[in-house]
Amino acid sequence: MRSPRLALAIVLLSACAASSADLLPPDRPIQSAIDFYVDAKLKASAVTPAPVADDFTLIRRLTLDLVGRIPTPAETKAYVESTDPEKRAKLVDRLMASPAFVRHQVNQFEAMMAGPNGRGNSGGLREYLTKALGENRPWDQIFRDMLIANESDAKTKGASEFVKSRVSDLDRLTNDVSVLFFGVNVSCAQCHDHPLVPDWKQDHFFGMKSFFARSFDNAGFLAEREFGQIKFKPKAGPEKQAKMMFLTGATVEAPGAKEPSKDDEKKEREKFEQAKKDKKVPAPPSFSARAKLAEVALQSKESEFFSRSIANRLWHRFLGFGLVMPLDQMHSENKPSHPELLTWLARDIANHKYDLRPAIRGIVMSQAYSRSSKWTSESQPAPALFAVGRLKPLTPMQLATSLRIATADPLTFENVKPDELEKRIEAQENGARGFASSIAQPTDDFQVGVNEALLFSNSDKVSREFLADGNDKLLGRVKAAADDAKAIDLIVRSVQCRPATADEQKVLQEYLSRRGDRKPEAFRQVIWALISGAEFRFNY
Amino acid sequence: MNIHRFCGSPDHAISRRGFLGTAAAAIGTAAFADMTGLDILANSVLAGEMKKQQKRVILLWLAGGASQLETWDPKPGAATGGPFRSIQTAVSGVRISELMPKMADRMKHKLAIRSLNTKNGDHGGAAMLMMRGRRDEANVKFPDLGAVIAKEMGRADSQVPDYVTFYTQTEGRSMAPGSSGFLGSRYAPMELTTNNQPDNIKRLDGINELDHQQRADLRDLLSKQFAQGRTSAPLGSHNEAYQRVRGLMASDKLFDVSQETDKMRDQYGRTQFGEQTLIARRLIEAGVPFVRVGRAWWDSHGQNFETHQEMVPELDHVMAALVDDLKDRGLLEHTMIITLAEFGRTPSINPSLGRDHFASAWSCSLTGASIKPGAYGKSDATGNKVVEGEVDAAKLFATIYSALGINPHKNYYLGARPVPLVEPGTEPIKEVLA
Repeated sequence: MRSPRLALAIVLLSACAASSADLLPPDRPIQSAIDFYVDAKLKASAVTPAPVADDFTLIRRLTLDLVGRIPTPAETKAYVESTDPEKRAKLVDRLMASPAFVRHQVNQFEAMMAGPNGRGNSGGLREYLTKALGENRPWDQIFRDMLIANESDAKTKGASEFVKSRVSDLDRLTNDVSVLFFGVNVSCAQCHDHPLVPDWKQDHFFGMKSFFARSFDNAGFLAEREFGQIKFKPKAGPEKQAKMMFLTGATVEAPGAKEPSKDDEKKEREKFEQAKKDKKVPAPPSFSARAKLAEVALQSKESEFFSRSIANRLWHRFLGFGLVMPLDQMHSENKPSHPELLTWLARDIANHKYDLRPAIRGIVMSQAYSRSSKWTSESQPAPALFAVGRLKPLTPMQLATSLRIATADPLTFENVKPDELEKRIEAQENGARGFASSIAQPTDDFQVGVNEALLFSNSDKVSREFLADGNDKLLGRVKAAADDAKAIDLIVRSVQCRPATADEQKVLQEYLSRRGDRKPEAFRQVIWALISGAEFRFNY
Repeated sequence: MNIHRFCGSPDHAISRRGFLGTAAAAIGTAAFADMTGLDILANSVLAGEMKKQQKRVILLWLAGGASQLETWDPKPGAATGGPFRSIQTAVSGVRISELMPKMADRMKHKLAIRSLNTKNGDHGGAAMLMMRGRRDEANVKFPDLGAVIAKEMGRADSQVPDYVTFYTQTEGRSMAPGSSGFLGSRYAPMELTTNNQPDNIKRLDGINELDHQQRADLRDLLSKQFAQGRTSAPLGSHNEAYQRVRGLMASDKLFDVSQETDKMRDQYGRTQFGEQTLIARRLIEAGVPFVRVGRAWWDSHGQNFETHQEMVPELDHVMAALVDDLKDRGLLEHTMIITLAEFGRTPSINPSLGRDHFASAWSCSLTGASIKPGAYGKSDATGNKVVEGEVDAAKLFATIYSALGINPHKNYYLGARPVPLVEPGTEPIKEVLA
């Protein structure tokens, strides 16, 4: 059985993966490889891309993407005024070296692991991610930690949450693991062979499920049996015994596939009962199917699913659109927009032993990432060309933290030592969690709901948290400005991270002048109009 | 009713031409051209127009699981029957519990479905099933009935909410939340859980009416300027959401039951359930496509008969008021009233004189929207199983969609994957459709 399936899988994979011999060499700088492939496709499509975004836009984009907030007015000013030809690389390196980078990564990975519907993980996973990403643990190691999920190992504490919180529903666990780590949604193949994708049969779904079939929750601790297998009823024919089988078709001859003897069964039952009584993690089985999956998925012939999926996810995070869309449909019937680029990036990530930082740095240093989000000529180019910057709705934490930074007294962040600045920003971030919980997590087809607009328009919360008067607030500083023009400049620089245009000056001055009898309220309204505006809501 | 009367306040007549005239000159005509169409108050949806084209739904959600035996499917005389008798209804041959005399009189507008077999007896899972008509998949969270109706019947620029849900009592609330699933936050319900006014619909005292309106215009003007040269669905939805704010605020009176006459309020009864149902009528009349009124808590594991003796007559009374009221306004044939719960209750009576969770043979009712009246389906003599016309969640939803003029086999798309409104292969109950 094994060889024909494997051969089939290789044929299917190579249909969308360019062979590595034809790729640019692995030592080519990442950003240069990215631009080579993206530019080639633009040229072939006869599309001239949008120009590079201006410095105001770029520092905002990079700061939001790398540390999860807008830049302070001082940061923006320093960046824009710098004449250092290496200033962008230095900015990226500074941001990526800051603790805020890790915190933002944790937020992003946690949202990704919660799935599109915000299915909960408890705090344990967050704790684990904070530790693992803090020491830059590679992605394959994180995958292994999460799958093996050894609850008695202090180093991986919390990693078990992902499996444990889903173990009562093995179908969901199987699919969530496949979606998150391999970019493959196998749930269609649960009841029948996949209707659109010839590579996915019911055998694949139940083959993947077999790796989890022995796992269960033993009074609050994740446990795994020595025995157990999955049977399923194919659409046609008699009931079938599933084999542990990875998505490529690679199968595992697992011990314990036979019915256990009465004696073995009894012994095992006693082991788990004892662990329950002792309130302890049950000893792992001699053969762990989950650990086997972690091993098989990373062996050289199988690892393309793993490396391509994370490459696609990182690309999607920074460009707002995957090389394969949707992210969970990486299969032969859904080709990447840039097949060679995806293969090159996946190989590069694997070559860096799944350290994700080089890929992140390469992506944000590329021209493809840096384009303006404005498209002035007639027809809008296809998103998969990456010819124009794509608007990304802010995540709840990006929005809430940015709101706090935008509406704080800008002097809070000026003339302080880097460590102190970091501390003050972290304090804003911590204060933002409450408000973040009232904002929806964006998805690919995200739409802002009217509840958010009502919240901004009429809630006491917004008024109290972002429009308050006081020495530590933007409003306090604005009130002390010499004239309206200076006040407007201060507001726009703080909220929009750029100077006000002449038109804006005119409109806003007009707005203020009509409210000479209630100036503080008028300033508050101007701040409101900007923080609730489209420009603030998106990473453009 | 004319919705304009809610918007006739002098505050709304304030001219903003002064400010915007200058603003437009400053920013240029492209953005301003759109601004002129912004006067939402002049664009109010005409209730009468909606009335002709579209159907609406009021879901009376009997949270916790009302007993079919004490409502639509009585079994007097059976060992499982309990103490209440059955009475003849206006439809010959159809008898319902004596606790519902007013429904019996109005049976010519009502259909009782007595053959639900939905197989899930767990509050949370069953509530999700009966709100969505299907079970969520590992990676797909389906929209519920309210969200689908909001999408199908609501208007992008609607000045009223398109999915409102009342659930004021705390019992079971977290187990039956409204959810727009993969349709996203555009169709998320406006949830009322603390009182009869939605959150954030009223202007704060700290800002006057003129400023509230003009700062919104300012926001809009600046946002439109940002949107120039940028095409993005989320960006469009952001601006649309804010465009709806002023209209929704103007609809606050829709939620104000004191706008009704004393006579009308007495007709519904001055209970929370009665008042919320009256508000639901006000909402659908103004063009809101879907309103759920949750009434908790029917979970009568003990003292089932006392519970139902108290709660069923209230349901009977409120629903009768609603039916009469809709009929008087010519809205009954365009509005479907549904009574539904997560499940029914066991025929067997437990030692605490309670009935437990039961999903194998239970009942719901559909009223109005040209549904054929009477009873559909049969349970056996003791009420333990369905013997005729079995209906599962998918079939019920296919029937509801069909009666509302929505093709139940219509597809939504999740990426390339077509997702039909109801489970493939499900047909509506043809016999009850007009």
